[in-house]
Amino acid sequence: MAARALTKGICGLRQSRAVSMGYFCGGFHYGTAASIKSPQPQADDSEKILNQPLEKPDFFRLSELFSVKDLFNARVHLGHKKGCRHRQMEPYLYGCRLDQDIIDLDQTVELLQQALNFTAHVAYRGGIILFVSRRRQFGHLVETTAKDCGEYAHTRYWQGGLLTNAPVQYGPGVRLPDLIIFLSTLNNVFQQHVGIRDAAKMNIPTVGVVDSNCNPSLVVYPVPGNDDTPVAMELYCRLFKMTINRAKEKRRQMELLQGMFPVSTENS
Amino acid sequence: MAALCKVVSRLRWGLRFSPRRTVRGSFCSDSSGASGSDQPAAARPRSGFAAAFDLQSELRREAAGSSGSPSGQEESFASLLRRSPLIQMGPAKDKVVIGRIFHVVQDDLYIDFGGKFHCVCRRPADGEKLQRGGRVRLRLQDLELTARFLGASTDTTLLEAEAVLLGPLDVREPQSKDPADRPPEPAAVKSEVF
Repeated sequence: MAARALTKGICGLRQSRAVSMGYFCGGFHYGTAASIKSPQPQADDSEKILNQPLEKPDFFRLSELFSVKDLFNARVHLGHKKGCRHRQMEPYLYGCRLDQDIIDLDQTVELLQQALNFTAHVAYRGGIILFVSRRRQFGHLVETTAKDCGEYAHTRYWQGGLLTNAPVQYGPGVRLPDLIIFLSTLNNVFQQHVGIRDAAKMNIPTVGVVDSNCNPSLVVYPVPGNDDTPVAMELYCRLFKMTINRAKEKRRQMELLQGMFPVSTENS
Repeated sequence: MAALCKVVSRLRWGLRFSPRRTVRGSFCSDSSGASGSDQPAAARPRSGFAAAFDLQSELRREAAGSSGSPSGQEESFASLLRRSPLIQMGPAKDKVVIGRIFHVVQDDLYIDFGGKFHCVCRRPADGEKLQRGGRVRLRLQDLELTARFLGASTDTTLLEAEAVLLGPLDVREPQSKDPADRPPEPAAVKSEVF
């Protein structure tokens, strides 16, 4: 009992412990030096809240949010011309029609499902999600999406040390995002966004919508799809917003249920 | 036996309009040859035109009967793509489509016609009534303006399509579905370039 209270107290402090994503205690990314920490034994109710979503493959039932037809109507399958194609996007392409690449929506459905599932789990565990897009046409849309789901967005110029030099630029003990969602992985000069490389350096998982001219290699959960048409961008924003809201709702529900029916501890 | 049947089928083709049905029935070796002439026409295995007609009418019946069920949930991406107006249109050069103006900047009209990109056209001299939300007719030139410049490894893209503005959509064409439901607009392509 005393040991459990002590561990709870230690986790309550949460000072400068950057651990990998899977652990409950202090599972945040900090700007200071990382130190891997072994998982502490936790109380059963909080463990149950965290472990229950992991038991089912689609706990948040995200596959009912979209279908191939929805993606098709939103013109997600349209890619750029053949000359703009990135070599590493070739596995995700269905083919090329009159010089225009067509993205394979069957693969997109699966990858989008995985990306949304991961986002939901991050949001369920109270992670910080950062939406990034350097497309000026959709900057306002991305910012309103982030505001609507209570997360963060960065649609302006990306300063070089934003992630890699955060403690110097923003003060010590800054908490970095736990997931970065790129709604467009290119910047305005058609180069890969710096944030992808920096997130990989800082061990931050990324979800990215990759068009046929993007490089999907560093993105952890690439979603091959159109990122130039407003209809498609609105679809992505709506899906991410619904996912995050659903996950947060679920977390609130689970905590309420635990509060009403506290689980008796087995090893007291 | 197989060679005999093949000969028989060739004979059937030749004797399609022959009134001597009894001859055909007796040559058939695998079916009950004795009662071949007594079988009614429907039970006899159809061949040639009759078989094709049966098959086509069955398909048509199936398509008409189950037109509600492949409502998109079961339709595969390949069939959706094959039937989409963008693919059915073919090369975009000189095709007439209908677009919708979604943004106006003084004299420039940003028009979305259902492709990946929008096109930007200058307002014509008599185009005072072309405002945001208006529908116009366009003659497409290119779906995406790209070019490979010297020394570059990939094409440079302008993220725009190119089209010539023909004028506002004056006559409301009777459309089968509500345009809001139908995703891309090249569905209402005029037939002048086909």
